[in-house]
Amino acid sequence: MSVTVTTGIGSVEVRGVWKEYALASQRPRTLKEAVVEALRGRLPERPRTWALQDVGFRIEPGESFGIIGTNGSGKSTLLKLLTGISKPTLGTVDVHGKVSALLELGAGFHPDFSGRENTFLNGAILGLSRSQVAERFDSIVAFAELADHIDQPVKTYSSGMYMRLAFSIAVHVEPEILIIDEVLAVGDAAFQKKCIERIHGFRREGRTIIFVSHSHGQVAELCNRAAWLDRGVLRSVGPCEDVLVQYEAHLAGAGV
Amino acid sequence: MPLSFPDASLTTRPWLAYREMFLGLVEREVRARYRGSFLGFLWSLLNPLLLMGIYSLVFAVVMRIQVPHYALMLFAGLLPWTWFSTSLANGTASITANANLIKKVYFPLEILPLVSVSTNWVNFLFSLPVLGLFLAWEGLGPGWAILSLPLLMALQFLLTLGVSLILATLNAFYKDVEQLLGPVLMAWFYITPVVYPLSMLPADYAWLVHVNPMAPLVSAYQDLFLKGQWPGSPALALAAIEAIVIALLGLIFFRRRKFIFAEVV
Repeated sequence: MSVTVTTGIGSVEVRGVWKEYALASQRPRTLKEAVVEALRGRLPERPRTWALQDVGFRIEPGESFGIIGTNGSGKSTLLKLLTGISKPTLGTVDVHGKVSALLELGAGFHPDFSGRENTFLNGAILGLSRSQVAERFDSIVAFAELADHIDQPVKTYSSGMYMRLAFSIAVHVEPEILIIDEVLAVGDAAFQKKCIERIHGFRREGRTIIFVSHSHGQVAELCNRAAWLDRGVLRSVGPCEDVLVQYEAHLAGAGV
Repeated sequence: MPLSFPDASLTTRPWLAYREMFLGLVEREVRARYRGSFLGFLWSLLNPLLLMGIYSLVFAVVMRIQVPHYALMLFAGLLPWTWFSTSLANGTASITANANLIKKVYFPLEILPLVSVSTNWVNFLFSLPVLGLFLAWEGLGPGWAILSLPLLMALQFLLTLGVSLILATLNAFYKDVEQLLGPVLMAWFYITPVVYPLSMLPADYAWLVHVNPMAPLVSAYQDLFLKGQWPGSPALALAAIEAIVIALLGLIFFRRRKFIFAEVV
């Protein structure tokens, strides 16, 4: 087996990744349940269920990579591995560069604080320093179209305003790798168009984009390569059109 | 199937890069606690004062405990105790209460218990001037021995963080810990010399001081603030060792399990 040395900033390498399901229902949740289990001498022997099985692929710097699959195919699990939130049971995930995931929208937002205060805290959580947020602040507010409300508490925001601010901060992190998880249903049609524009801008700047979806429309529009996940198994990796054709054929064949 | 496990440096931000996040969260917690209440920040002073009034009434007036400067001794002990107990309460819940954050963003999860302990430390610092005022009123004070305050605070910080890390980990798996904590803290409070001086502890129970690092710590604060006494009892030295060991154990315990928190909370 040859091991590729990854050096490029913005590259992602996933090798032989297996991830075991931690099914909440299979784990004793309270001390009482744990004690009862222990007294009965019933060790937690359970069949291992895998959310991902031997998944491996490589994303080059500057690529727009789609990950497609139906619900329950393991996409979310894979995303958690790519962002470092959880660890593979077996195998390795190497991510080179600063990752920002558009699934982190509004992380740490506090309803009692103003949009301005939340922007600084959310920026810090996403890895920006105070001065970096200050530099980008006007641009963040302008993009979110919230100039009149930025000093109001976030709890007074409509859900659309809330998401616009959250999205705007996330795209201003300027990551080397941007992970997007079907969140483009943010705001009205005009704002969505602006989001797509922004993502195309990231592409032109040569940033790596990983786009996760179950619908082929946006993947076809945004990606040049793609991977298809089916019940935790990687069915194919390659040029976007080829993978989408196989995925569609499978969906048609399965009568979905 | 390759069996290599990824190391902790999966994402590229080094520890130091999370300084801003840490400070931002502490600031948020300190300010959020009193936001929306009319008296705001004054509550961090009023709460120990009210407690002092209640305990003074019960122990000095009703039970007629004979200790000079009883109310001050009480206040000097209540402040570090409040820092300790509130940190533990917040710290224990810090992982489960931030489940949303943990499932969305990668960051060193140690930050969360650290934020709990730090936030309450800031509140402790803010309440010191009031203690100083009371002491001055009675003509008491720590004098130059105040220079040893950072040492006492450092020991308490390590101890509190260590216990918080352990309890936060357990609570991520068994939410019962949160429920159990109230009664445990109450028992812990009464085996710590806050409402009575260490000297009142019967000889048969003197060993409690050695298994409870908070006992010599609180006693050292009281002696420092009221008598200007430099800390240096053998019991405190043992507490220092216990604090360091607990902090290390807590860190190891937490780190071995933190990568499954996002899957169980």
